[in-house]
Amino acid sequence: MKHFITIVAILGIMTSCTQIPTSTSPVDAVPSIFPDYTDVVIPSNIAPLNFRIEEKGEKYVTVVTGRSEKVIITGSKVVIPKGKWEKLKRTGLIEVQVYIMDQNKSWHSYTPFTFTVSDEIDPYISYRIIPVAVESYQELSIKERNLTNFKENTIFSNTMVQTNENGTCINCHYYKNYTTDNMLFHVRHYKGGTVLVLDGQLHKVNMKTDSTLSAGVFPAWHPTHDYIALSNNRTHQSVHSASHDKLEVLDDISDLILYDIKNNAVSIIENDSCELENYPAWTPDGKKLYYVSYKYEGGYGEKRKNEMFLARKEFHFNLYSKSFDPDTRTWGPTKMEFDAAALDSSITWPRVSPDGKRLLACISTHGVFPLDQIVSDFIMFNLEDGSYRHVDELNSPFAESYHSWSSNGKWIMFSTRREDGVHTRLYFSHIDENGHFSKPFALPQEDPDFNREFLYAFNIPEFMKEPVHITPRQFASFISSTEATRSKYESKKGE
Amino acid sequence: MNQKKENNKTSLIWYSRLILPVALWVILNLCSADFLLKVEERSHFEFDWFWFTGFLKEPSGLLSWLGLFFTQFLYLPWLGSLLWVLLLTASGELTVKIFKVPGYLSVLAYIPAFIFVVYNMSMGYMVYLMNHPGYFFMPVLGYLWALFTVVIIRKPHNPASSLIITIIIGFAGYYIAGFYALAALITACADSFRSDRSRLSRILILTAAAITIVLSPILMVSTTEYYIGTGWTLGLPDHVHTVPLLRMQGALILAMIVLLLISLLPHGELNGKKYIPIIIQCALLVGIIASTTILWYKDANFKTELRMIRAADNMKWEEVTRILEKASQSQDSDWQPTRVMVMLKDLALIKTGKDGDYAFSFSDGSCEQKRKWDVPMSIQIGHTLGFHYGIPGLCQRWCFETSTILGWKNIIFKYSAMTAILFNNTALSEKFLTKMDNTLFYRKWAKEQRKLVYDRSLMQKTAPYDLVLPLLCHEDRITSDLEGCETFIRRHFTGPSPVHSTPMYDRAALLFAMKSKDPTLFWTRFFLYLDSNNPKSIDRFYQEAAYLFSQQDNSDPLLKALPFDEQTKNLYKSFQNLAQRTGPKDLEEANRIFPANLRHTFFYYYYYVNNLKLF
Repeated sequence: MKHFITIVAILGIMTSCTQIPTSTSPVDAVPSIFPDYTDVVIPSNIAPLNFRIEEKGEKYVTVVTGRSEKVIITGSKVVIPKGKWEKLKRTGLIEVQVYIMDQNKSWHSYTPFTFTVSDEIDPYISYRIIPVAVESYQELSIKERNLTNFKENTIFSNTMVQTNENGTCINCHYYKNYTTDNMLFHVRHYKGGTVLVLDGQLHKVNMKTDSTLSAGVFPAWHPTHDYIALSNNRTHQSVHSASHDKLEVLDDISDLILYDIKNNAVSIIENDSCELENYPAWTPDGKKLYYVSYKYEGGYGEKRKNEMFLARKEFHFNLYSKSFDPDTRTWGPTKMEFDAAALDSSITWPRVSPDGKRLLACISTHGVFPLDQIVSDFIMFNLEDGSYRHVDELNSPFAESYHSWSSNGKWIMFSTRREDGVHTRLYFSHIDENGHFSKPFALPQEDPDFNREFLYAFNIPEFMKEPVHITPRQFASFISSTEATRSKYESKKGE
Repeated sequence: MNQKKENNKTSLIWYSRLILPVALWVILNLCSADFLLKVEERSHFEFDWFWFTGFLKEPSGLLSWLGLFFTQFLYLPWLGSLLWVLLLTASGELTVKIFKVPGYLSVLAYIPAFIFVVYNMSMGYMVYLMNHPGYFFMPVLGYLWALFTVVIIRKPHNPASSLIITIIIGFAGYYIAGFYALAALITACADSFRSDRSRLSRILILTAAAITIVLSPILMVSTTEYYIGTGWTLGLPDHVHTVPLLRMQGALILAMIVLLLISLLPHGELNGKKYIPIIIQCALLVGIIASTTILWYKDANFKTELRMIRAADNMKWEEVTRILEKASQSQDSDWQPTRVMVMLKDLALIKTGKDGDYAFSFSDGSCEQKRKWDVPMSIQIGHTLGFHYGIPGLCQRWCFETSTILGWKNIIFKYSAMTAILFNNTALSEKFLTKMDNTLFYRKWAKEQRKLVYDRSLMQKTAPYDLVLPLLCHEDRITSDLEGCETFIRRHFTGPSPVHSTPMYDRAALLFAMKSKDPTLFWTRFFLYLDSNNPKSIDRFYQEAAYLFSQQDNSDPLLKALPFDEQTKNLYKSFQNLAQRTGPKDLEEANRIFPANLRHTFFYYYYYVNNLKLF
């Protein structure tokens, strides 16, 4: 595939040397292209932004120009050679001029658009590739993608462990401070446990204790000490009969726990039986933990779940925080940071920027699972002055959900269903010093039709400074051969 | 004279070789065309580079791709089956030729082909669970690859060349045909010991084959994402749901063992009496034909379901009920339909507006499908029911679940596209329609559907949307993701009434209220039905239900005074008399006692059709 595209690109260049149309009529619009890369800000180390021209035409000529570099590509599929691309990026501003010949053999020149080259981005990202089903899974994998080119590797796939009779689910990969020598992901069902990589060494633990609700779910690795905050969830799903939203997901119980890596011990952060605590997120100094919670005082027992589904639209999660002393592992009191309920809204997935100045979160009308809510958007808080705003420049008519800050805090990567409402794709955006995001752009793919052809979804995108050093086969043989070590329970300190 | 006898013998063999494939092709088309259509409908082939490259990522992917290429022609069962029969015939003929199978044993060379026939045609309900792309044609294609491998390895007599060729064809073959290539290497080794090649050459072939068989899967597994145990069987269907691996793979492995045995058969004709070869041939033929006939899946309900589903997918609603009617007429009085039949029949009656007069004139029940392994109704027809009952969320859900478990299929792309169109999601509609654009037989359908994407006003007068939109008047609801398809639909129609319902929706809701046997729910729906449908006369079964519920002790006197037909009253009286006189304790006994005119009433359904197993 790779070679085919390269050949096409080379042929395109070879055959187009003298083909820039000279007599053209101008079109007062930028051409429609997919993915929409028109007038975007891009990282200086990003792979080529290949695209397809969506306008109808008989012939196409695209001229990509830097200060002293020029690439001419023919055809509606615009594949920019990597070498040329690197030179183009060095110029800081790339201009793309598209010419299209119509049925009457007349050439039209569209308004040029630009790629503005900006700060570097972490060279690697990882994500889970999942089917869009509600309940079933066959093949799940955590992939690693080099952003500077198109190389994608598998970090781990469930097909390497599961057998014909015993399925294995994998989820929620996470890294300590963007490095891969300390990372984790969960393995559920067959050969289950949380796989921890600690200073490059593999471990498998079972964080479920007699005093806690479940094994760990959504993680947040402490930036300076050997702790991981995690949610505990008892999750249920319900299917919509006639809605753009496929699913309603809720936890009938959820808590927060702290995993002490050195002692393989779990302690409670929050487990108020009336509160549904979720989505922990540390500040960069590790002295505060943000999370979301909703107070539900309904009944218990069998009916609880059904009652909760019926009352789901009243579930408005607020943003809270707790101070934390990592040296003594003691917690301060709970503080409400944002009363989303007062706005008939629900806030989820808080993530603090690496400089600690901003917090980006999802906001929706109700509930705790933004991925399946078409109305889910981004909201950003200025942690210095307490102000907040809906991030309209990132939001789309479809769901925006999981997001991740780059290690330098200059880029945001997020999951969105903006392309077709069902298949989650990854988009990037640059944030300037005033906290404004640039127009989001899709993860570049070698084949620009990739996002349209690919029938799986991207999930849990995380930035990494480096590739994962452990091979998939090492993960597989470790997971297959190692029983999870049970964590012990420790009482909570502080308050 | 001797020459003439020899010619006769040869003719006999040749005739049987000719007659069998022709007979198979005729039988396939006369008896199993619906099954072949189902195989095609649950496969997908695209003339698309991106799609093709997806098959290059794993060993045996090319064989899968080729299998799917041929499977698409089952869209025209006569053509697809012809291709299949030709490939099967070629496999037999080439086996005879390559291994010089003596005339009196030549039928043996057809055994692998018949194993493939039995494997596919004994599948029955497993057709809904098959997840291996191209599985229908893959065995015969894999077998042909195996024959090709043997021929290639035979070619060089030089020991060094033999070694190199075996390794190259072994590793390349594994990438192309997976398991079949590894099996071919074993046969090639056996074959080499029967040839006149040197001892060194044989040892080198054996060594090269052993290295390839052991190493190629290990190397593949070490560089890809496969479970370590799956490397040697890539190319064979995987385990799915509760179907054991032996059922999925056993017969295909057996076919390759037979090939190995064929390669070891003695050369030369049988000495002795002349009629012995004929007897051997005939015995083998009879054995093959008998076992194929016995193992061929012939369940009548399965066939009826296939036809009903097809009619429903093609919106031939009258035909849906006609098929069921015909099927029930050919059965005993205690025959029960499967739940799939009942759900499709009710759907067809709602679509044609005949629910009130015909819904209970068919036998009801929950006859177990004749199958060994669980085939959830949702996997079988969840998409069809969800879409046509006007619950697009259910349709979309089961499209995605099915595609995840079993891979994308034409029928799933079709319903996914139609649901996206119903949801007015242009990008998603385009995504699925583009997939169908890339096919040979569905591009015209995709072109027609695309018109609706960009002009929604056409939906009101275009099937199937014209009969789905009236059922889509309900507000969005959520229902458990764990319950079966039928329960979901029942719960949907017995749930809160829509604010702006339609006559069709009210009739459907009334029908499901009657099925719930809940008088309160019935009366609510009954008056909604009267309001929206404003019938000149109340349909037969609605009247029966109303009369029955009005006769109950706690019923409102006003309801008792409703103007019921004399026929309804008389029927009820006859029913009660017979019921009190005979007192059948269950449905089976009632089926034997009650005459057809009383069996096909709501009264009968209310009293005797109980404890249905819903799916």
